[in-house]
Formats: sequence, structure tokens, C-alpha cells
Amino acid sequence: MRATASIFLLLTLLLTAAPAAASAPQTTPPPPPELPAASDFKAVDRPGDSGKAILLTWKDPATLPEGAMIEVRRAEPPADEFMTLKMVKPGTERFIDSKAEDGKTYRYELRVRGMETPDSLGIAGAVGPALVSDPVSSHDNWFRPERTNSLIANLIFITLILSSIAAARSGKPIFIRRIAGLNAVDEAIGRATELGKKVLYVPGIQSMDDIQTIASVAILGHVARATARYGTDLDVPNKDPLTFVSAREAVKAAYLAEGRPDLYREDMVNYVTYDQFAFTATVSARMIREKPAAIFLVGYFFAESLILAETGQSTGAIQIAGQADPTQLPFFVATCDYTLIGEELYAAGAYLSREPVLLGSMRGQDFAKALLMVVGITGIVAVSLGATWFLKIVQTQ
Amino acid sequence: MNFDLGRVTLVALFAIVPIVGIALGMRAPALRSKIPVLVAFFAGLIPIVSLYIPKDFMSGDSGMSPRLDQWLIIVAAFALLLGITNVLSVNNRKINRREPGWPYAVVLLTGLLVTGGLGIYGAISKQGIGLLPDGSSTPFNWITVYVFQSLQSTIFALLAFFMASAAVRAFRARNTEATILLIAGGIVMAGRVPLLEFLAAPFPPLQPSAAAASQGLGKATEWIMNIPNGAAQSGIIIGAALGGASMAIRVILGIERGYLGLGKGD
Amino acid sequence: MPGLLHRFLALDRRWIFLLVLLSVAGPIIFPVGLPVTVTESTQKSFDYIEALKPGDIVWLSFDYGPSSAPENDPMAEAFLRQCLLKKVRVVVTALYPLGGLGLANQCLARITAEYPDAKYGVDYINLGYKDGATAVMRRLGDDISAAFPTDVSGRPLSEFPIMRGLKSIRDVKLVFTAATGLIGEYWITQVHSQIGTPVIIGPTAVSAPKYYAFINSGQLVGMLGGMKGAAEYELLLSRGHPELASLYRSTKGFTATKGMDGQTVLHGFILLFIVLGNIAFFQERAKKARA
Repeated sequence: MRATASIFLLLTLLLTAAPAAASAPQTTPPPPPELPAASDFKAVDRPGDSGKAILLTWKDPATLPEGAMIEVRRAEPPADEFMTLKMVKPGTERFIDSKAEDGKTYRYELRVRGMETPDSLGIAGAVGPALVSDPVSSHDNWFRPERTNSLIANLIFITLILSSIAAARSGKPIFIRRIAGLNAVDEAIGRATELGKKVLYVPGIQSMDDIQTIASVAILGHVARATARYGTDLDVPNKDPLTFVSAREAVKAAYLAEGRPDLYREDMVNYVTYDQFAFTATVSARMIREKPAAIFLVGYFFAESLILAETGQSTGAIQIAGQADPTQLPFFVATCDYTLIGEELYAAGAYLSREPVLLGSMRGQDFAKALLMVVGITGIVAVSLGATWFLKIVQTQ
Repeated sequence: MNFDLGRVTLVALFAIVPIVGIALGMRAPALRSKIPVLVAFFAGLIPIVSLYIPKDFMSGDSGMSPRLDQWLIIVAAFALLLGITNVLSVNNRKINRREPGWPYAVVLLTGLLVTGGLGIYGAISKQGIGLLPDGSSTPFNWITVYVFQSLQSTIFALLAFFMASAAVRAFRARNTEATILLIAGGIVMAGRVPLLEFLAAPFPPLQPSAAAASQGLGKATEWIMNIPNGAAQSGIIIGAALGGASMAIRVILGIERGYLGLGKGD
Repeated sequence: MPGLLHRFLALDRRWIFLLVLLSVAGPIIFPVGLPVTVTESTQKSFDYIEALKPGDIVWLSFDYGPSSAPENDPMAEAFLRQCLLKKVRVVVTALYPLGGLGLANQCLARITAEYPDAKYGVDYINLGYKDGATAVMRRLGDDISAAFPTDVSGRPLSEFPIMRGLKSIRDVKLVFTAATGLIGEYWITQVHSQIGTPVIIGPTAVSAPKYYAFINSGQLVGMLGGMKGAAEYELLLSRGHPELASLYRSTKGFTATKGMDGQTVLHGFILLFIVLGNIAFFQERAKKARA
């Protein structure tokens, strides 16, 4: 009987304790939900760069909970412990570690991590499985692959120019259309000679690193030869010191080549000032006081173009202007007698000298332009028909 | 010792080659034209190649291409010295010979020496050329703000006067092209400002129509600027870019040498 | 009347200069308050900046000199006001050699005085002037501190919270260049084309026509063309931010909106003279044809 009572008591205790245990508050938190892992994780040296960068790419998990971020970690020798580099937003699927040192071997780890945000739905602190990359080191590369299309285009352009030059050397006659502004150069210098007044030549306000200035100094050489031949005075004020030095050499060489070194004076080519408007004020004053008969405004000008051209126009001089950049062209067209527009400036050297080699290069340039027009029209048609891949071919970086 | 390929190559190409060239040129004049062309070739080739080759010695922070850019700035500074020497000698001669306009030469030289002197003083005295610690101007800064900036603005303001006189003179319907220029110019000039609202200001009943017409003019202006102007500008820019590239190839390859003062047969 | 019209054919330009002076000076002394209409390129610029979030970093470059300050200053000031109001952080530089830095300093001093909560080094920073625009821009693509190791007063960039996490120009949301000359174009060809950072340009009116080609090709987010563009931007700012509307209404300082009055009167007179000149020209031509 006593045993029965004990068993009954034990059973009673067991039966009352189980529900109590079941309803007692839990002291350990439930495990966080499992976060998915990214896939296709690759770490490679960033292609086409000067080094010090590693490119990481991956695919985000298909189902990523709200509030999750992608944690990028890196381990470097000697400690080889993974340290967090960056928390990347989902959707990016790409990260560039630009703090890498060339030659050092790194390993990268990628994992999904729950952040503590209002929307994180209890995943705060949760961490998904880690993906670890193969060891990788950065180094500089020999080629930028994203510029392949630009390289091909340049090679085609250079080939066209060189083959046209080669054809021109063979003696084949090359036609170049009439450019009124260049035909008027001799007329302008002749007018200055008749009136006994000088020729004023302004080679723009940019330095010799600008191709328009180089073209202008080349034209100055032709003008200087003509003034040397006719015995006309020449005045070349300069805003840039490098241009001043080049212009001086070009004019000196021109006078020597014409056999008139006696006519050359050191102050023919002079430096004025580096400030744009101080230069403009000086040259304008020179135009009004000295009244040159012919004014050349050839090169790269900015806001001072109209001040110079209008002042020159008021003195009654014949004016020939030229600029490749279209910004100031309307002012030159409105105030000057002749204007070289755009690439006519670059054609001047070939036009004035009639050297076959230079004319040949103009021909090559025209072929390149024709090719560009064909590509452009093809692109318009292709993209209009929905072939947007065409844009990717011609896009440059 | 680290061998910096970029630096060594630059020194070889742009220091040793020109010096050797000058020395050889004194003995053999025919070489005088060859060395500058060779230097120009490398100076043009390096930036082009660095566009495609990102190797550290070529395009890195201390690579050949960025270093060449820095050297250009330094060379330009030395050329500035040549320029200043020329300014001093030309204007000094003008004053000595009492050539026409010699008082202006006095003003120029005074400005050059005073401003340059104050700038050098600022550097030597560590005051600098900006503001003093108490917020007041250094003498150089005073000249910059109250003389230089005012004069610059004055000369730039002349543009408004010259633009008006050029427009009145140039916008004549002499031929078809000039007429198109006149009409487009007129629409843009009227469309860029609230001119019709200004004219209708004394006539309240006309103001709503003026506002509507002004909107229309504005749209026409935008169309002219976006479509015909945009197309023409693009065409000129592309043509000029091709012309510039062609000229650059000629300069780099030594075909175009007029800028060096070398002509046919040189 | 014909005799009077014929005088226009040979009008002494000094009469035109006098008319220009009166046209521009008159509305400054007696303000008219003419309305301004907004163009698409300015609207796009404004909308882009308005969409930026607090804490975003933008780059403001003073690429102009004192000569074009009346056109470019209002643009730079309006941009700075919009950014500081929206708590967008601003990095300021100057790449124009003659006067760019002075204008940057003056503009920053003027505008930051209106926002006493904006802290130097936290909300904005002035990196000063650097020579060699294209070379500087190329370096900015890799490392800002390589181009600007210190701020304008010579303190290392690492001292400033705004520069933490800002390694290169890729990390900024927008470049705004108030420009005259070529430097504005360099931001498009060197920074946007090579790195991809969006660019808004505020050129002078004379350069503005060139940039329509860049807008159409998507290389520019937008453009504020000259003083008109600046006036449009001020109008959009006033509409979007009432506190700025009262500032622009009450300020005694120069604003682009005030400058547009003078430009309107001037354009009107020039158009009148062009019309009269053409009438005289046609009459003269008809007379010659009859003779």
C-alpha cells in the first residue's frame, strides 16, 4: 500500500511538473533564423588598372531578408585573421578593395549579416555561411580592356592617315577645296605692304599644349615668310610664355629662310602678360594706336575674341580669324572679313604649303570622317530598331 | 636602390637626349632639326600610350604620363621668366627711345615691379599673398581685390557694348544665310529674356497674351539651341576633333614641323 | 523718316554704347522685377540636386575669374545654399588660376554666414587651388589627397570628418562646376567620361551653346546657362524653399534675377535697332535697284 501511494505521489508529481515545465519562461533566446549564402564569389586582381585594387564579385542570394547586408572581410598576412572591410548593400554584387598592396596575398570572405534595423525582423546579429575566396594579390596590368574599342578606332584612324600620306608621296594629285580665309592671307599682307602699315598676328591665348596653338604658330611661319618677302612689319603679341618662345623661333626661322635676317627685330614677337583681359586691353590699345592694316586672330580665344575683333573692325583693318572650337566662332563671323571654321584651321598648313604629304594627311582625315558618318548613321538606325548592343560597342571609358 | 623605370626613361628622353642633341647640333647643323622632332615624338607618344597601358611606370601616380604633366608646368614657369625678361627689355627700350606710347610703358613697368615686389615680399616675410591672420589684406591681396579684379571686370564688361554694336551691324538680311542668322538670332534674343512681359507691363489686358507668347518664344529658343545649334556644334566639335587628332599625328610623327620654324626641306 | 532710318546704316557705335549703358544701368537703379521662365536644362539640374540625401557629398569647383563673377557667382551661391539647406556636404575647390580661389573664399564666407549650424570640416571644406586642371582631375579619380594633400589653410585632410571615407571623386554624388573657358569641359571629358561621376555645369552665356551637345548626349546632367540660367535656378530655389524666397526678395546684394532686368531692356533695344537697321537696308537696296 505504501509503495502504491509512493508511486501515485510520484506520478502526480511528474504529471504536474511537466506542464509547469512546459509553461515556465524560456531563459535562452531562440536561435536566429538561418541566413542564405551568396554564390559565385570570385576575387581577382582588378583588370586594366595600375594595381593596388582587387575586384570582388558575387551573386546575392535569391531570397534576402529585409535588413540584411553583405559583409566583406579580408585576411592578410601575417595574422591571416579576417577583418571587416565594408558592409555592402544587396544588389551591388561587386566591391573593389582599393586599399590592397601590390604583391601581398589576401583572402576574402563574404557572408550575409543581419543588421539592427527596425525592419530586420529578428535577424539582427545573424550571420550566414561564409564564402572564402582563393588567395589573390593585386598588380598593375598591361592593358585596359574597356578601352579596346577606342584603341581599334585610333589604329584605324592612324592607318588611314598614314596610307593617305604614302599615296600622296607617290605623286598622286590631291584636291583640296578652296578656303577663302587662307586665299586672303597674301591679299591681307599685300594690303599692309601697300599702306605701309604693319601686320598684327595674335596666336590665341592658350599654351603650346593646345593643338590649335600649334596650328596657329605653323600658320604664323607662313605669314612671317610673306612679311619677310614683302618687307612688311610684323607684330606678334603673346599671352602665354611657351607660345611666345615658339612664335619667336618660328618668325626668326621664317626670316632666315627668306634670306631677310636683317629685317627681323627682337621686339617683333613680344610677351605681354599672362592675364586674359590685361592682354586684351594691351592688344586693343595697340590696334587703336598703331592701326595695323591686317589683323590675324588665329588660335584659341575665349571671351576676349569679340573685344579684339570689334576693335580691329573699328580701325578698318582686314581681319582673318580662325578657331577650331565653336564657342567664339559666331563673334568672328560677325566681325571679321574671313573666318577659318573648325578644321579649316588645321588644314591651313597643308593648304598654304601645298606639300603633298600634308595634303595626303587631310585626305586620310576625310576618309576617317566618312567612316565616322557611316558608323553614326548605322548606329542611329540600329538603336532605332532596338539594337541597343550597338551603343555598348561604341561606348568609351 | 629602387629602379624607377618611368623616371629614368623620362630623364633619358627629355634631359639627356636634348643635351646631347644641342651638343651634336653645334657640330652638325643638320641634326638641329632632328632632335626637337624626336623629343616631340616621345612627348606626344607617352600620354597616348598611357591611355591604354595602366602599368605603374606609365600611368601610375609617379608614372611617366603624370610626371610629364608636372614637368610641363615647371617648363612653363621657366618660360614665364623669359617672358618677363622680354617685357622688361621691350618696354625699357620704348622708354629710353621715347617711342610713341612710352608713358604707358612706364605705367606697365611700375605695375609689374610693384606687384611682383609685393608678392616676393609676402613670400619672404611669410605673410603670404592672401589675408593676414587678423583678417586684413596683405598689400598684394589689396591690389588683387581693389585693382586687378576691378580692371578685369571692366574689360569683360566691354563685351556687352561690343556685342550690341556687332549685332546691330552684322544682323542684316544680305542673303539667305544672313537672313536665317537674323531670324534665329532674333528669336533667341527675344526668347531668353521676358521681353514681351516687359513690353506689356503698361498694358494689363495684354499681359496674359504676352506671357503665353513669351512661353512660346522660350520653347522656340530651346528648340533652336537644342536641335539646329546642338547639331551644328556637334558637327563642328567632331570635325575639329578629327582635325586636331590628324594634326597631332602629323606633329608626333614629325610630318608637320611649321611650329618649330622648320619648313619645306628643313 | 527715310532719312532717319538711313542714319541707322551708318550709326556711330558710340550711340549704341550709350544706349547699352542706359539699358543696363537703368533697371539696376529702378528695378522692374520681370518674371523668369525655367528651361529644361536648369530644371534637370535643380531636380538632381534636390533628390540628393542629407550626408551625400558633392564637389563644387570655382573655375572662373572675377571677369565672369556676375554670371557665375549667383550660380555658385545658389548651389551652396541649396546644399547647406539640405545638409548635403560640400567639397570646394578652385581650378581657375587667376582669381578662382579668392572668389571661392569670398563666396564661402558669404553663404556659410547664413548657415551658422554648418561646420567647417564637417559639412563643408575648402581644399583651395591647384594648377594643371586635367592633371588634377586625373589624380582625383584615384586619390583626392594626391591632388589636395591639405585644405586651403594647410591642415592635413585626415583631420576633417568630411574627408573620412572620401577617397576619390568616385565617392561624390555630383560635380558642380561654375566655369568660364575650358575647365568646365575638362570635368566632362576627364571626370564624367572616364570615371562616371555626374556633372552639372554653370558656364557663361557665351559658352552655353556648346554644352547643349553634351546635354543631348547624356554627358551632362544639366546646365545653368549664364545669368539667365542662374536666375532660373534662383526661381526654382525660391519655389522649393520658401525661406530662400524671402532671402532673394529682400537681399540688397546682386542676384541673377536682378541682372535679368537689365538684360531684358538691352535685348529689347538691340532688337529694335536691328529691325530699324534692316528696314533702312532694304530701302537703300530698293533705291539702288530703282536707280
